[in-house]
Amino acid sequence: MPRPGFVLEVDERTPPLLVHEGEGYRLQKFPWGTRVVYPPDSLPAIRDVNAAIRHALLSPVGSEPLPELLKPGMKLTIAVDDISIPLPQMRTPDVRQRILEHVIELAASKGVEDVKIVVATALHRRMTAAEIKRMVGERVFRSFWPNDLSNFDAEDPDALTHVGTTDKGEDVEISKRAAESDLIVYVNVNLVAMDGGHKSVAVGLASYKSLKHHHNVDTMMHSLSYMDPREGRSAIYDSATRMGRLIAASGIKVFQIETTLNNDTFPSQLGFLNKREWEWSAFDQGLMMAARKGNDLAPPRVRREVFRRIEADYGLTGVNAGEVEAVHERTLANLHRQQLVEVRGQSDVLVMGIPYIGPYNVNSILNPILVHCLGLGYLFNMYRNKPLVKPGGVVIMFHPVPWEFHQIHHPSYIDFFEEVLAETTDPSTIESKFEQQYATDPWYTHLYRTSHAYHGVHPFYMWYWGAHGRDHAGDVIFVGGDAKAVARLGYRRAGTFGDALEMAKDTVGPSPSITYFHAPPLMIADVK
Amino acid sequence: MVENAAPVPVPGDPPKSTIVESLSGKHVLITGVTGFLGQVVFERLLRDCPDTPIVLLVRGQQSQTGRARVEYLLRKPAFDPLRELLGEIALLRALDDRVTVVEGDFSKDVPRLPPGLDVVFHCAATVSFASPIDEGFQTNLYGAMNLYEGVVRSSSRPHLVHVSTAYVAGVQKGVIPEATLDHRVDWRLEAELALGARRDVETQSRRPELLDSFMEKAEKEHSRAGPTTVADDAEERRRGWVSKRLTEYGRARARSLGWPDVYTFTKAMGERAVEELAAEHGLPLSIVRPSIIESALLHPAPGWIDGFKMADPIIRAYGLGQIPEFPGIPEGIVDIIPVDFVVNAMLAVAVSPPDPGSPGYFHVSSGDRNPLQYFELYEYVREYFEAHPLPERGRGEHKVPEWKFPGNLKVERLIRRAEKLTDLAEQVVTHLPKSKAMRDAVARVDRDKSRVDFVKRYSDLYGAYTEAEVIYTDDRMLALWESLPVKDRATFPFDSAAVDWKYYLQDVHCPAVTESLRELSKRRAKPAVKIVERAEPVVAVFDMEGTIITSNVVESYVWAKFADLEPEGWPAELVSVFGRIPSYLQADRRDRGEFLRTFFRRYEGCSVEGLQRLIDQHVTEFMLQKASQASIRRVREHRAAGHRTILLTAAAEPFIQPLAPLFDLVIGAQLQVRDGRYTGFMSAPPLVGEARSAWLRRWAAAEGVDLRHSYAYADSHSDLPLLRAVGNPVVVSPDSALYRYARRRRWPIEEWSMSKGMPRVRFPRPATR
Repeated sequence: MPRPGFVLEVDERTPPLLVHEGEGYRLQKFPWGTRVVYPPDSLPAIRDVNAAIRHALLSPVGSEPLPELLKPGMKLTIAVDDISIPLPQMRTPDVRQRILEHVIELAASKGVEDVKIVVATALHRRMTAAEIKRMVGERVFRSFWPNDLSNFDAEDPDALTHVGTTDKGEDVEISKRAAESDLIVYVNVNLVAMDGGHKSVAVGLASYKSLKHHHNVDTMMHSLSYMDPREGRSAIYDSATRMGRLIAASGIKVFQIETTLNNDTFPSQLGFLNKREWEWSAFDQGLMMAARKGNDLAPPRVRREVFRRIEADYGLTGVNAGEVEAVHERTLANLHRQQLVEVRGQSDVLVMGIPYIGPYNVNSILNPILVHCLGLGYLFNMYRNKPLVKPGGVVIMFHPVPWEFHQIHHPSYIDFFEEVLAETTDPSTIESKFEQQYATDPWYTHLYRTSHAYHGVHPFYMWYWGAHGRDHAGDVIFVGGDAKAVARLGYRRAGTFGDALEMAKDTVGPSPSITYFHAPPLMIADVK
Repeated sequence: MVENAAPVPVPGDPPKSTIVESLSGKHVLITGVTGFLGQVVFERLLRDCPDTPIVLLVRGQQSQTGRARVEYLLRKPAFDPLRELLGEIALLRALDDRVTVVEGDFSKDVPRLPPGLDVVFHCAATVSFASPIDEGFQTNLYGAMNLYEGVVRSSSRPHLVHVSTAYVAGVQKGVIPEATLDHRVDWRLEAELALGARRDVETQSRRPELLDSFMEKAEKEHSRAGPTTVADDAEERRRGWVSKRLTEYGRARARSLGWPDVYTFTKAMGERAVEELAAEHGLPLSIVRPSIIESALLHPAPGWIDGFKMADPIIRAYGLGQIPEFPGIPEGIVDIIPVDFVVNAMLAVAVSPPDPGSPGYFHVSSGDRNPLQYFELYEYVREYFEAHPLPERGRGEHKVPEWKFPGNLKVERLIRRAEKLTDLAEQVVTHLPKSKAMRDAVARVDRDKSRVDFVKRYSDLYGAYTEAEVIYTDDRMLALWESLPVKDRATFPFDSAAVDWKYYLQDVHCPAVTESLRELSKRRAKPAVKIVERAEPVVAVFDMEGTIITSNVVESYVWAKFADLEPEGWPAELVSVFGRIPSYLQADRRDRGEFLRTFFRRYEGCSVEGLQRLIDQHVTEFMLQKASQASIRRVREHRAAGHRTILLTAAAEPFIQPLAPLFDLVIGAQLQVRDGRYTGFMSAPPLVGEARSAWLRRWAAAEGVDLRHSYAYADSHSDLPLLRAVGNPVVVSPDSALYRYARRRRWPIEEWSMSKGMPRVRFPRPATR
């Protein structure tokens, strides 16, 4: 039985603790009394994945078995999550490949000929052919690429359809092909509690017109937290649910497949990253020292390449299929089993190490806006009930925040950073003054559709994503961040952790309580 | 060179009444009123002699009348105290009531002057030490002759107060008295030959050998920009050569006759001519010879100065720590005199005219009775800067060097060595590849070079002045001073013995000439691009390679070619292209068009469809990866401002497609196609160098676009004609030649590059094909 997550109190016997900081990590001494939140140990993986998938497809929840839904002459659309999950990328074969192979085999055996696979990118960048091939596997790629396997295009007016409007006035506009299909099979990887459920079709296959109803500052400020999809907790999830129910009510049939992973986030050669420091063996320690030394010596380009190539040995902890809400309930239970950690009370200071990767920089660069989003948007929100830090408390993050951007993937981010953030960092002002212009800019749209660029509006969403964390915290300090880039984000910078704690005292007084959120591997702090 | 060195009695009757009384009701003509000396003479008369009618002889300038120039003059700092005293309206009324402005250029013709003049102050002169010989004579000799001719024709018989310089005495050392110059130079012959020299030199400059050498140099620098640019530059070089040659004529002729430079030489010739003219027409003549005129001690305000005079550029550069050593004999005397002393002396001279036929000579100088040694001057100035160092932006203060006076030979050697070093550095930096570091290095070398040039120029020019072991006696001046009523001595002081040099230099002069260096905030801002919306159509033209994308024809070819080859084929192609890179580069340096013709041969046999496939799959990503985000942002800004945008490039059109949506018009090289394959030839000559500007002009005329408000962006010197065709040229990450050109013209310079952290462009992955 794997151990649950737990909270350590730092005392004189606690060794320096590992803290992620971009393409590197450090060992950091913490003051006595600091609470350190550790994720639960990795759950055991399902041994026979194929059997589990088959079982899920044949005995789904709240739905007929998949074979019964498949008929000759029907239109079948299979949607898959894109490269933004899981993180890091999964060692091949990707779980999506396995599920796709099963679904396609079933469809073929049932005589279904009109099958299209679409990568549910929404406003994310188009995946490259190589990336898709890696995800779906050689067989599927060879049979379907490029005519029957493609990226979703949320800016192709001919390929969208307006399904309707929710009772809250939200437009639902999704992929026409999907909407007109007799069945949509959606293949999910549920890395965090926010993924999946109604968010799959209603978000993954939707256009800007639809997305702007929940991807906005007001919704984000009322989503406490994004990781808690229970009704009334997360405005964004509630909105997605309204849209999903509208889609179901309009007669669009969705067969949802959701998968959950264990916490084997790092491969065995970096196994120490999955463990607690005092449990490191001599081998782990040697490995850690060597990896750190090598990393420090490597030129930045090499370091980035090394990190880019990390693949996780994720094990599958569950696969469920069937009706969206019923499936998602099971998925959440699985996720909580792996990720939930009980924490008592909030603290004055929250410390987080920002790792090298987030959902939007796979094979790319974690630019300053993405650093903001990963820290205050994602990690900060990994809680239930209330944040780990008190309102007005201080968030201290470790990351070098280099002034670097990927020109092909993030062109509108560069302009957002140079033009918008140079003028204001206030999410509401940014939304009202600039969003429309970026969202409808023909050049960004051109790049989104023909190159591999995120949609023009995407940096705005990244900024809104961190809006709640930004608003909740009294001060945000980056340890070791590029001074200019951090200032542009509207945060403060400290040279060392000691300096950052001194700076924090301006806000929270001379002897603050401190919590270090020791992630990744990911977890959800259930703050009582 | 000077007759009888014995003291001479003051000519004319000693004035019994004060200067103001004597000038009352007298009609006074002033020339050179817009100059340093003339301004103060005018101001003084306007202020202190209310009953003296003034006639100003002013040259009109293009659009400005003489009167307008005088009104403009009254707003200058010299008139500040007076304007405060009288008020704006009363000052303008005084101008209406008492001043007659006569327009005329007397360096060319005899001016028409009003009758009844009583005193003429001739202050106009060219004070350039190194002007072409004909210009020196024109202003300093013929100018004075024309003026006095005009006076005579106006049937006036005024007292001529002719301003000369103490240095007309030439290179001789020792004691120089106030007397006529002793020389037997035939001024008529010299003047006539000097004027004729221009024709000779113009003729010489057209000799084929010389023209060829101008062309050769022009081609070396501008051949890539095209033949018109080369021709323009060659002609500019020829004109420069003529001017330099005539300056050499002047310097050489002056030195061969015993004067240090053309200024003192022509002034000396002028004195003799004026003496003869005055004698012929029976006019009283006084020649006033000031030494080095510097800022005012008292009037119109302590420290007042107009522009920078002889010593000031050196004082300023010294204060900035830029002059480590300067030639000169430390014990030598630097003869300085404040400007107000000169003006006061002129007024005193004016009211005591000599007898016609025996001119009066006056030195307004300090060397005789109150000598300031070169070493003292240096000490005072150094003390001043040590107590009040000049601020240096971001780095505290400038430290001034200590001079050791090692002797002129050593200083000259130092200068020569510095010159050699900067020349060498220049050779190195201009051959560095295009980069930000290269441009910084060029800027540094240019700065060092201008410093060395500065020291060299000034030490050449002023050598004679800083090492002059010569004393100009001022006995006559002193006698005149002593004859003045006490009241005048208080109002119009000019006794040089009364100047406290330490006070004058440290509390009056140095603060005045360094004031502008202390206002760091007023430093000129870097030129910046202003994108303005306009009613009339405006265009923004962008060069592509090197400007928008950091890549060139060779690179994009190699890239596309590789994409088409199986990996096994790479090494051979690598060798083939890279082996020829030197010849490509050579061709590129010689002539862009020729290079492109050579290069596009490589596309021979390539299928149109195949190339299109490559572009869709690989080139798009390549181009977007190589394009700087700042450039794309700029294109979009222009579009947002309603400007039309054009991409002009030498690259083949298919390769430009990825960037095409940004532009209203894309002009690239069109490759000839036969049977679905490229022939390796272009279907039209490539648009490079001058062809670009010619194309743009024709296009703009056809489209009704206003090029004066339009923009052009380019990185290479070969795009100079294009940049010059528009009103808002912008250079982007330029090569060294264009960088220098842009800095001189104060064109905006942008540094555009790929985003930091971008991965290297890799060869295409076969997986994607």
